[in-house]
This record gives sequence, C-alpha cells and structure tokens, in this order.
Amino acid sequence: MGIGPYIPVHYLYNVHHEIPFGYLIAIYFFYTGLSAGSFLMSALSSVLGIKKFKPIAKVSGVMALTLLAVAPLHLIADLERPLSFWRLFVYYNGSSAISYGTILLTIYPLMTLIYLWFMMRKDLALGAKYLTNWRGKLYRLLTLGHLDTSEASFEKDQKIVRTLGMITVPLAFLVHGYTGFILGNVQARGLWNTALMPYIFLMSAIVSGTGLLLLLVLFAERFLSAERRITPERRELIDDIAKMMPWFILVDGTLLISHFIVLYFAGQNAHETAWQMLYGHHQWSFLFDEVLIGLVLPMIIFSIPKLRKNLFMLIIGSFMTLYGVVYMRMNFVIGGQQLELDGNGWKTYIPDPLHVKLIFTFAALEIILLFGLMFLLPITEQRYPPLVQPLKGKDIKGTLTMEH
Amino acid sequence: MPETTATVEKRKKRYGMVIDLRKCAGCSACTVACSIENNVPEGHFRTWVKEMEVGLFPDVKRIKLPRLCNHCEDPPCVKVCPVQASWQNEDGVVLIDQDRCIGCKYCIAACPYEARFINPETNTADKCSFCIHRLEVGQLPACVTTCVGGARIFGDVNDPESEISKVLSQYSVNVLKPDLGTQPFVFYIDGDGSLMAGDYSGLRLDHTIRLAPGGK
Repeated sequence: MGIGPYIPVHYLYNVHHEIPFGYLIAIYFFYTGLSAGSFLMSALSSVLGIKKFKPIAKVSGVMALTLLAVAPLHLIADLERPLSFWRLFVYYNGSSAISYGTILLTIYPLMTLIYLWFMMRKDLALGAKYLTNWRGKLYRLLTLGHLDTSEASFEKDQKIVRTLGMITVPLAFLVHGYTGFILGNVQARGLWNTALMPYIFLMSAIVSGTGLLLLLVLFAERFLSAERRITPERRELIDDIAKMMPWFILVDGTLLISHFIVLYFAGQNAHETAWQMLYGHHQWSFLFDEVLIGLVLPMIIFSIPKLRKNLFMLIIGSFMTLYGVVYMRMNFVIGGQQLELDGNGWKTYIPDPLHVKLIFTFAALEIILLFGLMFLLPITEQRYPPLVQPLKGKDIKGTLTMEH
Repeated sequence: MPETTATVEKRKKRYGMVIDLRKCAGCSACTVACSIENNVPEGHFRTWVKEMEVGLFPDVKRIKLPRLCNHCEDPPCVKVCPVQASWQNEDGVVLIDQDRCIGCKYCIAACPYEARFINPETNTADKCSFCIHRLEVGQLPACVTTCVGGARIFGDVNDPESEISKVLSQYSVNVLKPDLGTQPFVFYIDGDGSLMAGDYSGLRLDHTIRLAPGGK
C-alpha cells in the first residue's frame, strides 16, 4: 500500500498558528450591526413614511450615531500598529473589504449626524424659543443659528430628512453588509466563504437593532419623556415594533439554516467547521447561546401576544436577542478560524486580556455617550410651549397635572 | 513544467521552489537557517517542517513536509490587504512592506496556508520572502543553501535552462490545495493526495495533536 489520496494522516509535529481575528472584531461587528439595524428602524417613518413609527425615529437615530462612533475604536484597537490607522485613508485597495469599510465608516456616521440634526431641528429651534433653562441655551447652540420656527421651515426639514434618509438607508445596509464581505471574501475559511454571509449579518443586525431599540424606547418614554411614563399609545407603538421581531428572527433563522444545509454538502473544510458548531467545541455557544437564547426563545416571546405585551417578558426577550447576536458574532468570527488550515486539528482561542479590558472600556464609553445624548437631546415627543410639566416623585400615574 | 497562466509567462523571471519530499530528512536545518537569516522572533516561523505518519500499521510511512509561503501567482493575501502593504514583485515574489503594514491581520485570516504571522517585534505581518535580500545579490535563499539532503531547489521557472525548470520537466509535481486556484509556486515531488489537500479525517477520531499557543 502506497500513499494514496485517502490514507489517514496522523500529525506528529506542526507549528502553532494564532487566530488573527479575535473578540474585538466580533464585538465591532455587533456594534455596526446594532447601528445599521436601528437606522433602518428610524427610516421606517422618515423614508417609508409610516407615521406610527415617527416617535422612535429620533431615539433610533441617536442610537445609530453613537454606536457607529464607538464601533471603529474596536477596529483601531485591534490593529497591531493602532497609530498607523490613518494609512487606511491614504492607501486604498479596490479588492479589500476593509478598504470599502474605511469609506463607509467615514461617510455613514456623518450622514447619520446630518440626518439627525435635520430631524431634531424643529425641537431644537422650539426649545431655544421656549425654554429658559440651560437646555434652552444648549438647544440654541445646537440649532447652529437656524432658529426659524415657521411650519414651512419644518416641512422643508422633513423633506431634507427624507432625502438624507434615502441616501443613508443604502449606506446602513452597506456599512453592515460589508462586514459580511470581510468574512465572505475569505476563500480559505469554509464557514465564511458564502454569499449569504452579508445577509446573515444584516438580518441578525436587524434583530439585535430592534431588540436594543425596544429597550431604549421603553427607557426614554419612562424616564425622559414629557409624561415620564409609558402611555397607552406608546405601549401600542412598542407592541407594533415587537410584532415585527418574529419576522426578523424568522428570516435570520432561515438564512442560518440554509447556510448550514449547504455547509453539510460543502467541501471538507466547510463541512468540518459546521460539524464543530453543531457537535464540536462550539456546540454549546452555538446551539444554546446563539440559537436557543438568541433566536428560539425570543421568537416564542415575541410571537405570543400575551407574553409580548407583558413588559417584563418584553425586556427579557429584547435582552435575549442582544445576547444571542453577541454570541452569533463570536461564533462566526472565532469559530470560523479555529480549524487549522495547515493541519488536522482545532486551534484554541485565548483572548488577549488587554482586548477584553478594551471591550469593556468601549462598552462603558458607549453607554455614557448613548445615555448622555439621550438625556441632552430632544429624543421624545416635545410639547411647546411646555404647558405640561410632570410632577416629580411617585404620584405621576394618572392624569397629567399643571405645575406652576 | 507546471501549467502556467498568462501572467506567469509575461514575467521576465518567475521565482519558484521545488521541494523533493523523498530527500527531506526532517532535520529542520532550513527552519534554523531561516530564523537566523531573517531574525524571526522566537515561537514564530517563516518555514517549518510538518511531520506526519501516513497510513495504517503495518503500511505506515513517516512524511516530512517542509512548509513556507507559496508565493502564489494569485495570492489571496495581496487581494485583501487594505493598504496595499502586501504586494507581489515583478518576479512573482509576494512581499510585505513593513513600513506600510498597519497590522490589521486580514492577510493572516485570508492565507489558506497559514504562512503568515504577526511579528511581535515589528508589530506587522511577516512571512517568507524567498530571502529577497539574498536574491538581489545573486544568492539563493538561506533554507536552500542549508538543506542537507538537497531537497529544496530554487530558481527561475521561466528560464528553461535553470535547474528548477529541468526538475519540473522531469518530475510530476504537486502543489498545496490546488483546488483553491491560488497557483502556488512551491512545488512538491512525491507529495500527493491527503498531503496536499487539507486532510481533516482525524478531527473526530481524536488523532490530532493539541497545540498550545506558543507552539509548545
């Protein structure tokens, strides 16, 4: 018997190769996904003109902006030479997905910022006119001198918002879709090398974006709105958003299942990576964390009206989608690289402690930025002149009272 | 002579390497010579020798498979580099501009041969350069000059009079993972079947060796 093509190979010695893309990249994908997902939710009213979603447009705009402000920090921190990141802007490679990303990550946040400004100009101008406190001064500053409060000017703003939205929606798709191409364009790694990759990333982005948006809308309405409580109309709106979630999960799950069906019939590299996700080292984090907690349980919670309308279950369900998508990013980024391309085994990923610390630092920064802006900016529906002011304390349930 | 594409024929020179697996003794002198020549940091390798046992007892054979960058004609690493720090010179050698590389590691993820690593001293991607600094002064790569069995043959594939061209016309050769279409220019004599393609048959049999980070 000679050395034929199907003879078992037993490795005795090989050198170790490290896993290049770690948790920082996975979490970066999570952030851009949240940003793109929330922007698309914002565009429901501003671009598609579905009026009932108007009250969430500003919250989701702020969410899209702050997430995209923090996301690139992960990329820069992951560079081995972080201070040389500027070279990405100077040198360009038309066949590199990271090069596309450099352009998208620059244009998209700027567009979101301009979009958000036009969307908020009405509230800022009105606030500058009627509010006498520091908030009024801040709003005056933020209007950049555009203090016109005529109805005609507001209508003009709305038109500009619509146009900007129409440009930024494709950008939102691209800014997250391109991350799918980062992985999809790598022929060597079976789990990644599929045209489905951008769409799997986009759908999970929309799932997680909707999840976080629900949480933030609840928070904003409860603590930042004029009423300081979640009014029945808002409950209905939240329910309308939550109703869409099962569909998003359904599409996301379908893409995932399609991917794995084809992986089963794919080449050895791809087949083995899929096997690892279903039966191997990633089984728990894939089947339990990503699929059960991230997809199946939220699917149940969001499709049963009784559960969905329960505020506690809604919050739990939204957190579950976020949790599941974090795991999805980790499973795909790390899991896709664990098969030794030059051997016959699995690589172990040991995260750099500095990277883990940075992830938590950036998360803290994101929370400060997000809640800071949500507090400072007029994200909820405002009433001008501010006739109605809520009473402080616990007795805010029931009718609104005038305060003098 | 292996199948060449139009781009290869257009080149004045096309450097390549033939590794005769029948002659490799697995002494790893090439690894040592390379590490000294190129100041490769500890724990990382530009060339290394994989060792495998092939077949089932009693029909078993020990295989030594020297590995290095394949200097592909269609290199996936060059395609993905966002700053064009990875590039291919006119002789087909894939090189890294160490001053330009930002260390994004995309090339490492994209290389199907695991030829690249992050050099902890320069914080850039690093790999075999066919000892370009030696080629420029008319010398052979360090691993070739040091190879005890003369298993490594280096030269210009486009020159019909070169030793490598003669060897290529005389023997049947294989490349690693030919199915990927990267067109490697490191050829193996007597390397066939499961040695050249990725073989993952041992994954579920626990035949694999678990490598701890750092290569211990």
